[in-house]
Amino acid sequence: MSCLHLINRSPVQGALPVCSTLVRGGDGVLFIEDGIYHCLQAELISNLPPDVELYCLREDLLARGVGSRVTETVESINYSRFVELCCEFDKVVSWF
Amino acid sequence: MPQKKILTFLSRSAPYGSDHAQLCLDMALASAVFEQQVNYVFLDDGIYQLLKDQNAESIGAKTLGNALETLELYGIETVLVDAVSLAQRGFSTADLLLPAQPVSRAELSAVLRDSDAVFNL
Amino acid sequence: MKFSVVIHAAPYSAQAAHSALRFSREVLAQGHEIYRLFFFGDGVHNASRLAVVPQDEASLQADWEDLITEQKLDSVVCVTSALRRGILNATEAKRHELDAVSIRDSSEIAGLGQLIDAVTHSDRVVNFG
Repeated sequence: MSCLHLINRSPVQGALPVCSTLVRGGDGVLFIEDGIYHCLQAELISNLPPDVELYCLREDLLARGVGSRVTETVESINYSRFVELCCEFDKVVSWF
Repeated sequence: MPQKKILTFLSRSAPYGSDHAQLCLDMALASAVFEQQVNYVFLDDGIYQLLKDQNAESIGAKTLGNALETLELYGIETVLVDAVSLAQRGFSTADLLLPAQPVSRAELSAVLRDSDAVFNL
Repeated sequence: MKFSVVIHAAPYSAQAAHSALRFSREVLAQGHEIYRLFFFGDGVHNASRLAVVPQDEASLQADWEDLITEQKLDSVVCVTSALRRGILNATEAKRHELDAVSIRDSSEIAGLGQLIDAVTHSDRVVNFG
């Protein structure tokens, strides 16, 4: 069963180092809140397997003034798509 | 209850500094009471909860290590400890107050994959 | 689909409570069901009826109550977390001989069994903390 992993803490506080060792092909990672700062630098998310889909929440990017700085491997989505993703993946794992 | 589900708890916080460790335990014990299948995993700083010789009297708190022993009393048999987290912090299973089974990240990943819901505190 | 949403964070001190509210609204807007909202740990403060915010700010507690009331949602506050944090209904206030009710009418106080019940009855459980 596939997982959508939610990362909401900034890179220095976050759980991505452990999360990135547990994700599997076919999983997704969605960066929200301060988690979106992972998406400004490709090297911060380079440990994630290539067959994992990466998303970040547009509202949280815009709030933080970084809407145009997201690295190209990450898809920027809205709340509506967030809910759709929760349905598409079999479960949601929050890493706060 | 409509069906028995597989619930996995990733206990990732050190004891005492926050109440996350206690809250995670409370959720797991409730799951066991309501007859769900529970996997309890100590991961990241969560492994500090398992160290012997804890005595939280000195900080006016209840010693969490004692409470963890209730996992077994509540029939939670799958108690796992992340081997990487343990090694990174310079500990081995001999330092732990419970007979938690060390698992690799690949094994943990499979546990997540096979769970119906995952709680992560 | 049936969702349950678990809120672990207090309002204002973390963005997570607001994210959970936005998410819950969107779940309902898409025609899905919310089986239960469960407030746990510091999340119980979202059900406080005694919070006051400056006039030019939105009250997250009031926004939760509006959503819960308008959509007739089942909203549960964990009893152990609530009592420790001073979130009481009339029954608990009386039982503990305290002179204030601090929980909004839109949420009930109940045990963790209600969380497990939500997990077993929901297709998706989403935690915000």
